Amino acid sequence: MAVTLQNDDSPSGVLRRGWSAAVGDYAIAGGWTLHGESLVVCDAAGGVYAFAGKSGASAWARQGAHDGGVLAMAIHPSGTAFATAGQDGRVLLWSVAEGQVKQAIDVGSGWVENVAWSPDGQWLAASCSRQVRAYGADGGEVWRSDDHPSTVSAIAWSSAGELATACYCRVSFFDVSAGRLRQKLEWQGSLVSMVLSPDGDTVACGSQDNSVHFWRRSTEEDSMMSGYPAKPSALAFDDTATLLATGGGNEVTVWSFQGSGPEGTRPGVLKRHAQPVTTLAFARRGMRLASAARDGAVVVWSLQRDGKGRPIGAAVLAGIGAKLYWRPDDRALAALDARGGVTVWRI
Amino acid sequence: MNTPQRVPVSILTGFLGSGKTTLLNRILSEEHGKRIAVIENEYGEVGIDQALVIDADEEVFEMSNGCICCTVRGDLIRVLGNLMKRRDKFDYVLVETTGLADPGPVAQTFFMDDEIRAEFSLDGIVTLVDAAHIEQQLGRSDESTEQVAFADVLVLNKTDLVNDEALDRLEARLRDMNRMARVVRTERANVPVDTVLNLGAFDLDQVLERRPTFLEPEYPFEWTGVHALDAGRYELSLADGPDPAMSLVVVSGQGTDDAALRESAEWCVRRYAEPAEFVRPGENIPVGKHVNLPLDSPGRKSFFLEVDTQVRVGLYTQHTAEEFDLQLMNAEGAPIRPEVERTWVAQHEHDDEVGSMAIELDGDVDPEKLNAWLGELLRERGVDIFRMKGFISLAGESRRFVFQGVHMLFDGQPDRPWGDTPRRNQLVFIGRNLDRESMQQGFEACLI
Repeated sequence: MAVTLQNDDSPSGVLRRGWSAAVGDYAIAGGWTLHGESLVVCDAAGGVYAFAGKSGASAWARQGAHDGGVLAMAIHPSGTAFATAGQDGRVLLWSVAEGQVKQAIDVGSGWVENVAWSPDGQWLAASCSRQVRAYGADGGEVWRSDDHPSTVSAIAWSSAGELATACYCRVSFFDVSAGRLRQKLEWQGSLVSMVLSPDGDTVACGSQDNSVHFWRRSTEEDSMMSGYPAKPSALAFDDTATLLATGGGNEVTVWSFQGSGPEGTRPGVLKRHAQPVTTLAFARRGMRLASAARDGAVVVWSLQRDGKGRPIGAAVLAGIGAKLYWRPDDRALAALDARGGVTVWRI
Repeated sequence: MNTPQRVPVSILTGFLGSGKTTLLNRILSEEHGKRIAVIENEYGEVGIDQALVIDADEEVFEMSNGCICCTVRGDLIRVLGNLMKRRDKFDYVLVETTGLADPGPVAQTFFMDDEIRAEFSLDGIVTLVDAAHIEQQLGRSDESTEQVAFADVLVLNKTDLVNDEALDRLEARLRDMNRMARVVRTERANVPVDTVLNLGAFDLDQVLERRPTFLEPEYPFEWTGVHALDAGRYELSLADGPDPAMSLVVVSGQGTDDAALRESAEWCVRRYAEPAEFVRPGENIPVGKHVNLPLDSPGRKSFFLEVDTQVRVGLYTQHTAEEFDLQLMNAEGAPIRPEVERTWVAQHEHDDEVGSMAIELDGDVDPEKLNAWLGELLRERGVDIFRMKGFISLAGESRRFVFQGVHMLFDGQPDRPWGDTPRRNQLVFIGRNLDRESMQQGFEACLI
């Protein structure tokens, strides 16, 4: 079920031919280095790959980095290093240039499902079942949380020293250097995804019961957006903290935070996908959103500040859309798919 | 893109000590040519190299609406969602629950979560029962009752610790609670792998094939004795008992093993459904017929049985032999002890809240009325309805509509064409305090 653009849209759209490549298994996570020199991709079998950002030429490839496969990866803000996490309970610290593991960290006996670098690159946070730990850039442990009430489903740095975690019924904010819990937001529901607004005030979570729940940290007021046909596991905030794009079905629902919104306002509803949306990514500037779906369709949308928008480009991947990454200069978009495809378009 | 085949999942439940780990190890060590992933919740007990074993904390997630039917296992969603990404997928998933688990959330996970539902199909729920302790457990905990009620297969384990009579009684009680399940007896969880994998348990046809009368009431007889006889005339002598009459079916060529007894029992259910023939004291009892022996005259009464060749006969009697001091004697008056005895317990001797009911009706159903009735039933009683399955003849549909459900969650689709087979409806419910009469009437009202 391909996505087609209507006649009033530019027929080829903004997505222009770039390059494509393949990895060994389901392309599960990736990232661009600082200026888009390289694209690093990990697959579900534990393979790690680096491609030249412009040409797609293979820089290096490493197989079997994590027994059981990779679950998450994060590029260091400097762009020269990255971290991978896997089912083997380990985090590996790599150099981008050589593709060498510089440091191996045993986090725990469970799966390490999330990793994130602090914005200043000083710390790496990793979650393993109910616990989160933070490490220095040298791999030394600097902090570990108490057990959460259930497995940590998402983590994100809200500032250089503050880490947010989501689990069943709870979002927590930890002051990592002081090693203490700073704020706890609770709500009865299984939180499957989390995104923080770039201004730091809003935290939004997708919930198993087909709703999006969000809180404003300053007031601790919360709201629930329900009525999604499926669970909204894909969430994205734009860089101005105006728009929150949410998946959860075949439509992309965009809530606008301008004025007193989004409470009491009607969201923008982006209709073009024929199957459930799997992932969302905002470009850094210009209110451009990319979405991918289970049928492999990728759509780029141009949005207004009220959340309404129109498609400006579309393409189809060979497998389920897994992840989308805008190059830091927004001039290219990378898509990873379930069949191990890596596709990069010029914008 | 082509849709991949859904991976079948078996759920293994049972109280601590019922033998789940032994059974898991057996399955995994057997040559079955399958790549099995095991999701284990009682840590570190299974240690077999050829299977992928994942320890997961049982995380039962309730939703904000407070509805127990929406409760799912969050750990399964996460783990299974991730495992399915690998290209070298496995062919089968076994989920072991902790002893105290309510099977509802595990089963519901395969209905509630779209992504899981797209990749996996719930093949069956296997519940291990410790024959020596289950009676106490049933009395004490809702979980063990629910584990029995949800089962497609009940593995009655550790049967060597309990005598046959108690086992029969236990089996009858479990059957009362869950008539859909297949009961397998074993000593050390030593059951063939195909009794727990690839059950296709959600397929009612298979259940009906195994137990053609399972939709009918429980066995109308309480006792069976198998006697080896030579050709000749035998006397069946009965003393006064609690009732003024007793029904009986004599089966010729009866085997002595469990399977043979069950097979005849199913056959006798149908004989018992036929009108009984009165046989007065002093008369001969015909073989293979439903007969009624009037016992209202005082003192011992004798009836006669003639066989013209060496044969084993099975007596399927309405009451136990003990109640009427039933004796079979040869022409010389020497008593012939039964080679094998078995008691079948009638349904209403136990009053467990949990039970099964079946609706079986000919004719076509109005889809709109059915929707309205089922919708209301599940809304109001979904919490108490653990399992349901069946097939329905929808008006205007050339194929059978097959369905299954767990609590309020309902899943159905058209299956094979009716063809020449008579169009009819069969529904089975297992639940707590089911209101049989009103459910029967409710469904009848949906017929055109």
